[in-house]
Amino acid sequence: MGVSALRTENLSKRYGQLLALDDLTLDVAAGEVFGFLGPNGAGKSTTIRLLLGLARPTSGRAWIFDTNAAHVAAAHSRLAYVPADVALWPRMTGAEVLDLLARIGPGTDTAYRDELIQRFALDVSKPAGTYSTGNRQKVALIAAFATRAPLLVLDEPTSGLDPLMDLQFRQAVGVARDNGQTVFLSSHQLAEVEAICDRVGILRAGELVEVASVAQLRRLHQTEVAATFTGTPPDLTGVLGVDGLHRDGTATVRFTLNGSPAAALRALADADVATIVVREQSLEEIFLAYYGQDAR
Amino acid sequence: MIAAATTAARPHRVLRALAVRQVHRGAMVVTAVCAGMSALVAVGYRTEALDQTAIAALARNPAIRTLFGEPVALDQAGGFTVWRTGIVLAILLGVWTMLTATRITRGEEDAGRWSLLLAGRTTLAEAVRHHLGVLAVVPVVVGAATAAAMIAARVDTTGSLLHGAGLASVGLFFVAVGGISAQMFASRSAANGAAAAVLVVGVLTRMVGDGMPALAWLRWLSPFGLVALTRPFDTNRGLPVSVLTCAALLLLTLAGRLALRRDVGAGILATADSRPARTALLGSVPAFAVRRTMRPLAAWSTGIGAYSLLLGLIARSMTEFLTGNPQFAAMAAQAGFPALGTVEGYAATMFALLAVPVGVFVAVRLAAAAADENARRLTLLLAAPVTRLRLLAAEATIAGCAALVLITLSGLAMWAGTAAVRADLGAGDALAGAWNVVPIVVLCLGAGVLALGWKPHAVAAIGALPAAGGFMWQVIADSVEAPSWIRALSPFAHLAAVPATAPAWPAASAMAGIAVAGVVAGAIGYRRRDLWA
Repeated sequence: MGVSALRTENLSKRYGQLLALDDLTLDVAAGEVFGFLGPNGAGKSTTIRLLLGLARPTSGRAWIFDTNAAHVAAAHSRLAYVPADVALWPRMTGAEVLDLLARIGPGTDTAYRDELIQRFALDVSKPAGTYSTGNRQKVALIAAFATRAPLLVLDEPTSGLDPLMDLQFRQAVGVARDNGQTVFLSSHQLAEVEAICDRVGILRAGELVEVASVAQLRRLHQTEVAATFTGTPPDLTGVLGVDGLHRDGTATVRFTLNGSPAAALRALADADVATIVVREQSLEEIFLAYYGQDAR
Repeated sequence: MIAAATTAARPHRVLRALAVRQVHRGAMVVTAVCAGMSALVAVGYRTEALDQTAIAALARNPAIRTLFGEPVALDQAGGFTVWRTGIVLAILLGVWTMLTATRITRGEEDAGRWSLLLAGRTTLAEAVRHHLGVLAVVPVVVGAATAAAMIAARVDTTGSLLHGAGLASVGLFFVAVGGISAQMFASRSAANGAAAAVLVVGVLTRMVGDGMPALAWLRWLSPFGLVALTRPFDTNRGLPVSVLTCAALLLLTLAGRLALRRDVGAGILATADSRPARTALLGSVPAFAVRRTMRPLAAWSTGIGAYSLLLGLIARSMTEFLTGNPQFAAMAAQAGFPALGTVEGYAATMFALLAVPVGVFVAVRLAAAAADENARRLTLLLAAPVTRLRLLAAEATIAGCAALVLITLSGLAMWAGTAAVRADLGAGDALAGAWNVVPIVVLCLGAGVLALGWKPHAVAAIGALPAAGGFMWQVIADSVEAPSWIRALSPFAHLAAVPATAPAWPAASAMAGIAVAGVVAGAIGYRRRDLWA
């Protein structure tokens, strides 16, 4: 692996009795779009607060491009951040907030910023006090994308955006990726993560339970198969890899497939298959499979 | 299921319980201070040393009336207590009720907590009415406790009850003022500003009305003037306090009505919809701190400037009176105001008072930084390449510089006032006197930074402690003739009477040293702790 944009080593954070983050070791390569998943309270925001130096780790360390995350002035000159809950000074207009953030931030491409203001359809002449949640989020997103900082840390950035704006967001992430920027995206929008992320990390109760590419995650999980037959469906009971077998009417069989499909395909080939639909599970289904039992 | 049904049946009770939770602690402190101070002064009163001609002279003097209110019934413990503590306690109660009214209504709404509350069966108008209703009980309790404490100190019952009623009505009035401004403005800070302006205008109107016989009618327009007009322990007039109570109740009703006419989160006065960007002072963290300080500084400057000018204008009348009536000079000395007989001595005494508002200003500015952190407004700044220390240094430095501006302005205003009445105070002396309070203001800065580092929820209270707490401590210690080591715990005990005497450099250095220690300890805490951001 090349340069790390973001790296943690045995990072832990304890709030009194609660272990909010337990021994997190994570490495996000430069240029990667990384999805950070987990249910509410899993420790996603805690991780981000530690990465940004807003909270101090109980143990362990974090680096932003080989700069210790605690050295805020150096580390933050290479990142931009969008918080989950954007709070702004109510009397300042959107334009004033953007101006402030550009002037104290890590450097801003003002032409691209103006383009983003157009794309996100934000009226920057209004005081921030009149903005909705989504509009406040847009201010932070525009400020972050316009920086061209090599690392973008986005904490649930689209929770207040409508589907049209969500599309603009995905495009902006695409532009960032094309520029070689790294994106660290914490999100609950699994379809979005699935669409834009190269790799995902899944956090549960403060522990990292999985880090893989979306394709790998799918491979690790089941594939759903539905086949219809012109004649009598074959009996797939006991075939290697076949699970959850059930019949729909007289001609349709549904089952899930784990691991190699070879045995199941051989069994199907012997029968008269009319149609076959093979569907990979969505990230949402995988996610629910992780948390379905003992979600926190 | 049964519990749910019981709760649902009484939303008003739950609403009132919520309001009680938010006010009870402050209410107990204010009640204890008002009742305690009144009892202390009444018990400490001694009748000797006052003859009728002296009292008549005191009552005639415009400066005394402007500053301390009209002296009434000073030959009794009750009258003396009212004269000595009445205005201070009325202002204290007014400030607390007004700030609490905006805090528990607009503040909660502004923070978004009422959205959840109002999603239930409660309407906005009900929430406002019940919160203000609960708060309105507090001044009544304060008035009753004060009257009871004075009666217990063997003071005349009628006068005590009237004085208590006066305090209660002032408190009620400012519950209503805070409640109305919370309906008018969409942000808590704007509501506080407007309500504070009403309070300051009320105090200044009372001062002018008391000081100039031709304008005595002005007192009918000020809550503090109306309380003065009741003259407890003298003529015991009930009409002014009834007028004030009626006005307060009308305004309280109005606050409830106004709540019916607006949306949640909005104010009656619409905020400007859109405007061109004003990009001045956005270039750096210190510049941005200056930008956020400008508006409050302008408001505080107006108030403190007007007050200092008034003090300057009455300087001559005051000093001439005290030189002619030495027994009052002695009495003033016992109450913590020595050397009022010369213009320099008078200026020194008045400038010492300046430490209180300026110290509170510094504490409030640092508390604003804590509030910005708590509301997560600082998050975007802290995600930029800005260290915490730089942010803290900018906030503390700008607050300190703004305090120096206030102090200088006060010195110039007092000088302008004395120059207008040809009382002989040089501009240099005036500035030296004003700057003499810098050590106490710096102590407030140190305490505020310390609190920001370790107790960020209590920045305003801890930051204001050296000035406001120290002043109260000294006044009480003087009134009860406490031993000198108790008196020495107040920083005010260590201020020299500049410009009458030379500055007390060793004491000033010691205070500065303590302040620096506070700043360093606070900075360490601020660097180490988790931010709310």
